[in-house]
Amino acid sequence: METILRSEEMAEIARICLIPVRHHSPACAFHVKKVIGEWKPDAVLVEGPDNANAMIPVMVHGDTRAPFAIYYAYHDKAGKISGQQEHYKCYYPFLDYSPELVALREAHRNMTCVSFIDLSYGDILYASHVNCREGQERSGNPESMETYNDDYLLTRNAYITRLCEKTGMRSFEEFWEKYFELNGMDEDSDVWFSHLNTYCALARENTPETELEMEGCLARERHMAARIVQKVQGGCRRVLVVTGGFHTPGLRELLSAEKWQETAAYAKSIGQYVPHEDESVYLMPYTMEAADALNGYASGMPYTGFYQKIWDGIASQVQKPYEEAVLDMIVSSGKELRKQEGYLSTYDEICAWQMAQGLCSLRGKPQPGAYELQDAVLSSYVKGEYNIASDMPVRILRQLMTGTGSGALCTQADVPPIVLDFEKQCSQFGIRTNTTLEKEVVFSIFSSKKHRQMSMFFHRLVFLKTPFAVRVKGPDLQRRVDRNLVREVWKYKYHAQVYAALIDVSVYGATVEDAVMGIVEEQLGRDIGADSAALLLTQVFEMGMESQLDKVYGAVQDAILQDADFYSVADALKSLLMMEELGVLYESRMEFGALLRQGVRKLLTLLSGIARIRDEKLDESMEALKLLYRITGRKDYETEREDFFEALERMQGDTQIHAGLNGCIHGILYGGGRESAHEVGMVCKGYLTGTREQLLQTAVFFRGLFFAARDLLLIEKELLGMMDSFLGEVSEDEFMELLPQLRMAFAYFTPSETDKIAGRAAAFHQKRREDIMEREEILPEWFSYGKRLDAYVWDRMSRAYPEG
Amino acid sequence: MQEIIKPPVEVRYQKELEALASTDSAEERQKRPENWKMSPKAVRTFILGSEKPIEYEGSTYLIQKKYFGNDALVERCIVTLAGNRGLMLVGEPGTAKTMLSELLSAAISGNSKNTIQGTAGTTEDMIKYSWNYALLLAKGPTREALVPSPLYVGMEKGILTRFEEITRTPAEIQDSLISVLSDKVLNIPELGDDGFLFARPGFNVIGTANTRDKGVNEMSSALKRRFNFETVMPVNKVSLEKQIIMNEVNMLARESHVDMKADEDVAELLATTYHELREGVSSYGHRIDKPNSVMSTAEAVSVYYQTMLTGYYYGDGHLDVECLVQNLVGAISKEDKDDLEKVKGYFNTVIRDKGSKEGGIWKQYYEARKWLK
Repeated sequence: METILRSEEMAEIARICLIPVRHHSPACAFHVKKVIGEWKPDAVLVEGPDNANAMIPVMVHGDTRAPFAIYYAYHDKAGKISGQQEHYKCYYPFLDYSPELVALREAHRNMTCVSFIDLSYGDILYASHVNCREGQERSGNPESMETYNDDYLLTRNAYITRLCEKTGMRSFEEFWEKYFELNGMDEDSDVWFSHLNTYCALARENTPETELEMEGCLARERHMAARIVQKVQGGCRRVLVVTGGFHTPGLRELLSAEKWQETAAYAKSIGQYVPHEDESVYLMPYTMEAADALNGYASGMPYTGFYQKIWDGIASQVQKPYEEAVLDMIVSSGKELRKQEGYLSTYDEICAWQMAQGLCSLRGKPQPGAYELQDAVLSSYVKGEYNIASDMPVRILRQLMTGTGSGALCTQADVPPIVLDFEKQCSQFGIRTNTTLEKEVVFSIFSSKKHRQMSMFFHRLVFLKTPFAVRVKGPDLQRRVDRNLVREVWKYKYHAQVYAALIDVSVYGATVEDAVMGIVEEQLGRDIGADSAALLLTQVFEMGMESQLDKVYGAVQDAILQDADFYSVADALKSLLMMEELGVLYESRMEFGALLRQGVRKLLTLLSGIARIRDEKLDESMEALKLLYRITGRKDYETEREDFFEALERMQGDTQIHAGLNGCIHGILYGGGRESAHEVGMVCKGYLTGTREQLLQTAVFFRGLFFAARDLLLIEKELLGMMDSFLGEVSEDEFMELLPQLRMAFAYFTPSETDKIAGRAAAFHQKRREDIMEREEILPEWFSYGKRLDAYVWDRMSRAYPEG
Repeated sequence: MQEIIKPPVEVRYQKELEALASTDSAEERQKRPENWKMSPKAVRTFILGSEKPIEYEGSTYLIQKKYFGNDALVERCIVTLAGNRGLMLVGEPGTAKTMLSELLSAAISGNSKNTIQGTAGTTEDMIKYSWNYALLLAKGPTREALVPSPLYVGMEKGILTRFEEITRTPAEIQDSLISVLSDKVLNIPELGDDGFLFARPGFNVIGTANTRDKGVNEMSSALKRRFNFETVMPVNKVSLEKQIIMNEVNMLARESHVDMKADEDVAELLATTYHELREGVSSYGHRIDKPNSVMSTAEAVSVYYQTMLTGYYYGDGHLDVECLVQNLVGAISKEDKDDLEKVKGYFNTVIRDKGSKEGGIWKQYYEARKWLK
């Protein structure tokens, strides 16, 4: 075969066939299968971390169903990568048409020896980060390398950009589909791979050496070449190597006659960069959605659902698999659209099909592909201007092209310890995991120890983002609502995603508790504000992770000290107060007194800065002032209370103070006995007799005042008179504008209080309470006419807009 | 001296069109839809350009790209016109919908003049046919006395009919197209048994419609079903917008015999301003209040051209940034007075920062903000 490398010197001993592939390419998978069948190698080596070799039997097992992914995790205990002990993880997804998986399956079918040959994940991280540290920038973010695939190297460089421009393609993906996929199956494997080889060599030539170094490519290729040499030296005569096309030129060079000795020498002493005991590898079921490159996770080709159809078509030897798939998707998206919006006709579908064929001919493609399909649906299904209100057809198509399939593993798959721990705990608590039926449970968390423990277990699983249990009712401490409830109602359901999610967090620990601790510690390591720290403390409190409380407590303390945001500290204080109140119920040993005091002191220092707030911050600010008033009212808070009042008085000195906040402060000072009702009345008068703008501020001043001390209006008669004169002053338009604020101001009163105030207000205008409360009689015929009119309008409206 | 201000596309690019039509391969000729002047591939080349020059009658022609933006959209338009449905180009004003429809008609039918110009006063007669009353009285209802509309001509000759600003026409008038588009026949009851005009192959309708202007009418669902819609979006790259501004301004200058060339820096300034105000975010990441006025590339071209003319006639051929800002004010404060405040805000944040960071023309631009009033 022309496309393969044959080391001339080695020809006598062995032949090495280097097969370049692109991840998730059906045409590539087709040719890999063909080549393995024709060439009959005695060893198949596949690009993939070599510490995943033990997974191969499970991957090729008949009961294992793609998509699935190899999950790699590395806990950098030695701090080799960024100096921090961070957790790293990545996925290597496989679909039925992944050339690598086809190679593994074919090799297994032919009973050929097969293995992975790349560096382990930890070593790849080390190799790429070491090179970055030497002067280049690259983020040390653990999430920056979440996928093992490195197809992006084939898809982004100046050469490819120019190539797309020249061929009139909108993206690399369209270029690839046109030149490699659409007629891929009709071409001879030799020709197909030679085209790919040329393309890869050009892509590589146009990628700077420094980037190769930075991505860890060179280290990986050295390792892969060494593994190939080992195989040859181990006695294999026909070695087939399947790697990403980008690496083929590199490997060819390392295996050439000139470099063979050097590579062989390296093969004798293959080292490792990071301790392998800190790495773990598992197989996990995956979904089409996650494997679709467009969803931002994996690289490789997008439109997993569409290409799965192509692969199925190839498998059932359909003459024109693309044509079939495009037509099928035009019809199924049309069907779905009819179901959801109901306007699409069969003629629209015919037009879409004609459009796809016409574009295919205009663009010189042998069959319409994914891009013609999208253009056809956009052009024929979208009626009117294309925007967020009319893009439903395109969204439906996009979902269909991504697919909804999910994979499954055979029973022989290695089960990670965290999954075992989960199952053990479930069985201890009598939670069923052998059925996928949803079940509802009610926990009396304060009266039954077992129930509290089960609740803690569920809270931990929620914290780990495991889609197993959902709380539908019960006290929600994080949002500080429903705290009066004493029971929790949960719904739980076991499915494959639970397994996948647990594996996903297994990098943090071997048990559910350990993983929670790992994540908590990681979050503490980040720079978080007082509110986020207090939220984390609430979560730990809710999960009953007593061992972690101290650590998080310390973090909250630090965060409060460092946080200069008034609202963030106030929010933290609310959470702390709530936990202090609930401590006994939740049987927590934690004391919150010192932390609470610290929070109060911090808030007092920040208080003066909030005098000139924006309108939208008023509620939050008033809540915070009320909270401070409540806490400083405690017995041992005399000093803080004094400071609080002084700070409030200082704020009053600011002439630009927000009127609502000013009202609230006066209310608080009145409540604390620092101000008399008369003094408050004078301030109110000040607003009323001020300039027009100040007069209009009176409404919001009342709102603030009644929020803190609504009894004033009932006690201080003068105040009601002032309000009355204020309403007399404003024009109707101004009144309408102020109405929302006034409504809010009166929302703090109970109905009987409002009633009483209304009575007094009526007296100002020489009316009795009854005069304003009782309305004129409505004649029965007026009422029945109104009712008929109402029914008529309703009938006409529902006919005109049947959808409601 | 040229005799007309703006020659139609088929005249302006006559040689290019001939060259493209003659160089269609035998296979392409076979693929030509009936009555098309050239193959769909050649139409694509005419509009989107080609890097490969073509030889025709001893001369070499390099086909320039004429429509900048979405190439796939142009391809969809061509395929639509070869099919059974009309093509409706919708989008904001100034996104080159009309230009695209002219280019398509000139390339496909060799005629971009067969046009109905839709207004609020368009009647059904203007769309279908009317009568020469003198002849009608003299000879009665005969074909001779009939005054064909562009739609009639399109059907009769098998060429494209352009319907400009279709949504400005009242909805019930627009609907007179429905039966013509689906049955491809026009009934003329006055002509008795001969009163049927069957459309010849090659006939189709390209409509253009604004979506953001005031005074536009909604299209009926029945009419919508007879069209494939293509939404023409504003150009989304500053570099491309700059290129368009330069090309268009240079062409306008050439046509008006104004001996000045567009300045790249000024074009970039204007393209950036229009792009950022349209998108609501600057290249530095500032969030910007978007004006309600249409910030189209066509508007930018007109602002530039106006400034250029002022410079040519009153400024010794020198282009003045202050004058550019004055013209910008005129372009922006057409509809909404608040828009000017938004542009002021834009100058006081984004342009200020650009001026202090990049200096040069950006600084001059910032200093010219005094004209924003």
